[in-house]
Amino acid sequence: MRAMKPALVRLAGLVLSVAYAAFIVSVYARQPRTVQQIAGGMAAAVGAYRVDPVNFGDGLRFFHADKFVEARAAFDRADPAHQDAVTQFYVAYSFYRQGWGRLYRDEALYRQGVEAVDRAIAHAPGGRLSVADASLGMHTADELRAELQRGLTRGLGDLNPMAMLEARK
Amino acid sequence: MSSPGAGRGSAVVRESFVLPLAFLTVAGAGGLRLAPGTGVLSFVPPPLVTLVLAALLLGVMVRAGLLVPSALMGDERTTLENTSGAVVTLSLFLASAQLFTCLTPDSGILRLVFNLFFLFLLWNTLAAQPDRVRLLRSLVVVFGWAYVVRYVALAALADPQGGWTRRLITVLLEGASAGSLEGEATAPLAGYIAFAALALYLIGLVLLPRARPAGGTAMVVAVPADTLE
Repeated sequence: MRAMKPALVRLAGLVLSVAYAAFIVSVYARQPRTVQQIAGGMAAAVGAYRVDPVNFGDGLRFFHADKFVEARAAFDRADPAHQDAVTQFYVAYSFYRQGWGRLYRDEALYRQGVEAVDRAIAHAPGGRLSVADASLGMHTADELRAELQRGLTRGLGDLNPMAMLEARK
Repeated sequence: MSSPGAGRGSAVVRESFVLPLAFLTVAGAGGLRLAPGTGVLSFVPPPLVTLVLAALLLGVMVRAGLLVPSALMGDERTTLENTSGAVVTLSLFLASAQLFTCLTPDSGILRLVFNLFFLFLLWNTLAAQPDRVRLLRSLVVVFGWAYVVRYVALAALADPQGGWTRRLITVLLEGASAGSLEGEATAPLAGYIAFAALALYLIGLVLLPRARPAGGTAMVVAVPADTLE
């Protein structure tokens, strides 16, 4: 038993070191921008991360009232670590709707939308995300990402006057 | 008075927990950058040149007896012990690379100057063949000066309200450089984190296992009792 002890200590140290190294590598790969995001990433890794339902509800309410800046502030409080796929989907959608114009698309907002929808896809199981919200014109993260990308791409289609008749989704 | 068993036990704990966790912490903290003003985090992976510098530094450590490969890996050790030793060596390598990343400016001519400074100093140390204690002292001086230049002098130069430190450095550098020397803005917290990482790295180096004292060889010749008369 006594002879086994150093081996057990070494084994425990090895497991802890590998886990710690994996955590550091994951932090470098995810590039969190705040301490909350690091903590949220750790909580999500052990399945303990939860979105705050009250703030998420506030965010939805603002979103449906076309108050997108307020909606994003509430969503940010609900999901400070940017780990929840649905919340990030709504954040991306808010960038799309705020940046959408009949004559132009706000590229800066669209770019932030792409970043947010990429986070949503990254955190969705299998990268597949579908949101059942009747008020939305696009229900999947793939549709939203494609629409945002189209808004960032310049082409001859931009000169088509019929594009002005296109409705916001 | 501690027994040899207790000493062996603490050596196992040190090799399995203390050293890997200390060096991995340095490896993680070394690449951490904090944006001045906003405090937004970013994590810089080790640039290729720091991997070369780290390899050179480990070579210097082996030559000086600060890092003893046979005390971490060898035929007489079990697979688990060898794996544990390999983890210590690998984490030391990563910590060294990230410490260079931490102490080197992120861009500009000063980045090149710092890397050349480290390269020539390590080369010189390799040629001088110092012993364990002298190498430790040398590393304290080299890394200490790099820290002071990077996080005190350059940070003060970049700070418009750097006060007397900025004025003093500007006066000292007047005439020493062809143009004005640009500082590199850093968040105050970054300096504390770099200091802690540097201190932890040096403590880890002190705690590295030392070479076992060479055992004497006894030559025993069996002589029949009747021949002794």
